[in-house]
Amino acid sequence: MIELIEVTKRFGSETAVDRLSLRVEKGELCALVGTSGCGKSTTLRMINRLIEHSEGEIHLEGRQVREFDEQTLRRRIGYVIQSTGLFPHWTVARNIGLVPRLLKWPAPRIRERVEELMALLGLPLESFADKYPHQLSGGQAQRVGVARALAADPDILLMDEPFGALDPITRESLQAELRDLQSRLHKTIVFVTHDMDEALALADRLVVMRAGRIVQQGTPLALLREPADDFVASLLGGDDRGLKEAAIIRVAERMQPLSPRLLPRARVHRDATLRQALAVMFREHADRLAVVDDEDMAVGELSLRRLVESRREA
Amino acid sequence: MRREAPPPNRVVTALMLAAAMAWLALPSVSVAPNRIVPGTPFHAHEIVGWAGALVGCLPWLAMVALAWRPTPTRYRIVLGFAVLLLAALPAWLAGVAALRMDPSMPQARLGIGAAVWLLLFLLGLVLIELRGRLALPRIAVWLLLAPVVLAWWLASSHGLEALALVQEYRGRSDQFAAAVIQHLRLVGGAVGASLVLGAGLALSMRRHAGLERLGFAVLNFLQTIPSLALFGLLLAPLAWLAANVGWLNALGVRGVGWAPAFLALLGYSLLPMVRNTFVALEGVSPQVLESARGMGMSRAQVFLQVRLPLALPVVIEGVRITTVQAIGLTAVAALIGAGGLGTFIFQGLGQAAMDLVLLGALPILAMALVADGLLGALARRLDPRQSPSAGQEATS
Amino acid sequence: MRREPIGAGGAGGASRLAAWRAPLAWLACLLLLAAGMAWLEPLFRWFQPDTRQVIYPHADFLTLLGRHLLVVGVAALLAVVIGVGAAVLVTRPAGRDFLPLVAQAASMGQTFPPVAVLALAVPVLGFGTWPIIVALLLYGLLPIVRNTLAGLQGIDPSVLEAARGMGMGGVQQLLQVELPLAVPVILAGIRTSVTINIATAALGATVGASNLGAPIISGIVNGNTAYVLQGALLIGLLALAVDSAFERLQRRWISSGIG
Repeated sequence: MIELIEVTKRFGSETAVDRLSLRVEKGELCALVGTSGCGKSTTLRMINRLIEHSEGEIHLEGRQVREFDEQTLRRRIGYVIQSTGLFPHWTVARNIGLVPRLLKWPAPRIRERVEELMALLGLPLESFADKYPHQLSGGQAQRVGVARALAADPDILLMDEPFGALDPITRESLQAELRDLQSRLHKTIVFVTHDMDEALALADRLVVMRAGRIVQQGTPLALLREPADDFVASLLGGDDRGLKEAAIIRVAERMQPLSPRLLPRARVHRDATLRQALAVMFREHADRLAVVDDEDMAVGELSLRRLVESRREA
Repeated sequence: MRREAPPPNRVVTALMLAAAMAWLALPSVSVAPNRIVPGTPFHAHEIVGWAGALVGCLPWLAMVALAWRPTPTRYRIVLGFAVLLLAALPAWLAGVAALRMDPSMPQARLGIGAAVWLLLFLLGLVLIELRGRLALPRIAVWLLLAPVVLAWWLASSHGLEALALVQEYRGRSDQFAAAVIQHLRLVGGAVGASLVLGAGLALSMRRHAGLERLGFAVLNFLQTIPSLALFGLLLAPLAWLAANVGWLNALGVRGVGWAPAFLALLGYSLLPMVRNTFVALEGVSPQVLESARGMGMSRAQVFLQVRLPLALPVVIEGVRITTVQAIGLTAVAALIGAGGLGTFIFQGLGQAAMDLVLLGALPILAMALVADGLLGALARRLDPRQSPSAGQEATS
Repeated sequence: MRREPIGAGGAGGASRLAAWRAPLAWLACLLLLAAGMAWLEPLFRWFQPDTRQVIYPHADFLTLLGRHLLVVGVAALLAVVIGVGAAVLVTRPAGRDFLPLVAQAASMGQTFPPVAVLALAVPVLGFGTWPIIVALLLYGLLPIVRNTLAGLQGIDPSVLEAARGMGMGGVQQLLQVELPLAVPVILAGIRTSVTINIATAALGATVGASNLGAPIISGIVNGNTAYVLQGALLIGLLALAVDSAFERLQRRWISSGIG
């Protein structure tokens, strides 16, 4: 659990973060979003004391971060940055084993842990362990970066635009992997990004920042439906907001039981998003879709009219 | 389907046509009855007749023919030819010596002619070109050159005793050994001292921006002053110190000799050393350093495990530049009596004995090349991005 | 290392002259000392009290300076023409075959100490002014070729593609895009080349050239420290004047052309 109370950071006369209070619950993925220069990275880096805050209190598991020894604190917190920051003179395996080595784990245990993490992140040991960072693709390097952050099994993970430098396809697959990892590991994650789709797809809680302050926070759905002001609304996509909302809702959540009416020809998978379902309707000139499972068996149906109405009720 | 014939290698063609022309048009050797009299030049056709000279053209033309439709195999054959010819040149000289030198005149000397120098140069360029074409590792070139060096070394005692360079060496083999040692000692001392001092200076410059500006200003200034002038400018104050400070005098400090040479060499060596060390330490990617800190490394750990190893190749590069520069400057230091191989150069120039000049200049050249090669290899080895084991399969 | 704000200089004539203050100051020192060395006789007398002659007698210092400059200047001019020309040629499609060889040879050649090159030039070319010019030219070519190649090859390929895409011809592209963009790097190469050549030309005095190296050599041979100092001071000032002029040029180009 991380708690920031009235935290302020000044650089000279400039205030980067202004009396910010934020609570990140255990096992929650909290995304800090906002335009560049809004103080989101600074906030993140104050948590592991790469930047010292000027005023206020930052608590970690009930203790002030200032009470920790800097290095001990950082070794307990995983840290992933956009440029990966992998050490170019070390092999992949050595990079991943960095924090366990700093913590003076016995060598066999480090080796075991490295192998475990490489397996977890889909990096086959024999082909990657002895490679150097410059021999990796961007996506592979960032996987190693995440593995390195997870090495000492920290409860907390700080991620500063970790997928910002990747191409859209690699980014999406890494996002999916992170979601999958998180559903198994339940880390407390603070995630900085300026990619709104990424934030909406990953976050349990979205924190919108502007000029060093929090403008609004809540679940992605809550923010999409009730943006506090025009800034949040436009940040979340303006008139596209509806589609963004549709993109984070699964068909299965909104489908109705099969009706006695004739089953429509157009179909959509139950795990697809509502946005995809809308696209199918648009393409197939249909206002009703059959919802099917993996075996292509109809399990329900989706009607445009009901969708729009249920949106109004909600 | 017919494969497209590869285009001719114009580089090898041009070089080897030039070689054939040099072989025919320039003197291969010069023969002098003694050290003082200038030698008589002899062209290839004057030694073995026009028929023989034209036969001697054949290897060059063969290489041109091979390079006309080049394949990797043909490149290898050309490479073999080039190495063979480099090793055959001393045999040719020895043959000329046997033909043209009068055994009754033990004072007579054989000088290497312009044609042979030019052929050596052109063959060297061919080696460079082929190394690139065949993507040979550096070590392969050194291995290929080993038989060449061996051939020249063997010839110097079997058949080429009359070679003027060999005679100059025979006359002063002890002096030569002492000069080489003195040269190495001065270079080693200056480079070693500048490495220690330079590293210290670079480290303190990183703390104090004022010192950084001042330090680079002074070192840049020093580097600009020509070596001869700096040696000269150090002469007067050191002479005064030697005359007035007893313990310095006892140490062997004089206005001339090793002391001003060492000081000047140290001054020149500091700039490349400090610059490279400084740039190397500052040039480590800030993201890597931040992630090192973010992972919980202590300051000492960040410096020793991350900053220093990443900087090391560039620091070694500084040592390489400094060493090569110091080898050349030490030659100039001979003018103020510091000893070393430069002594032979300036003695030779003074006596118009060109082979004595060669006796000084050629080893200096060799030293510079070897130092460059060894330290360059070391820097590459320490750089994970270039080490052979790492390979070149980086993906973007 | 240069941290001066770029483009800070005003356009006024006074400030432009002020920018050249350092090289002009060094030049003034150099000329004053060369012309007025005789007036400093008492000072040198103090160094060398027992010698009859304390001012280098064999030639006027201004003449020595002129000869020094002539040799370095001619060699530098030829080296720039040949060096830049060769680098341009091997980077054109017609000469590209020679590029790897020229690039490798230029960087390897810089390993050779200039003294050794000068010494080797004498047996081949003989004594005198022309052999020295040729030796300086040969050695001075290397940094120029190397830097011109680096400058031309360091240009962002997208810039060249844009130039081609706008319909520029080969010559236009070279003169209006490639060379102007490469000038800072080429200038740095010329600066290195000239600095080394000023020093190496002084060594030419050992092979019979009469230039600013001559008083030093003569002083060392005759044990006359005053001669040595006179030569050393003048060469040092010459090197500083030329070097600071190049530095100024480089900065001006960067602030006016690209900054």
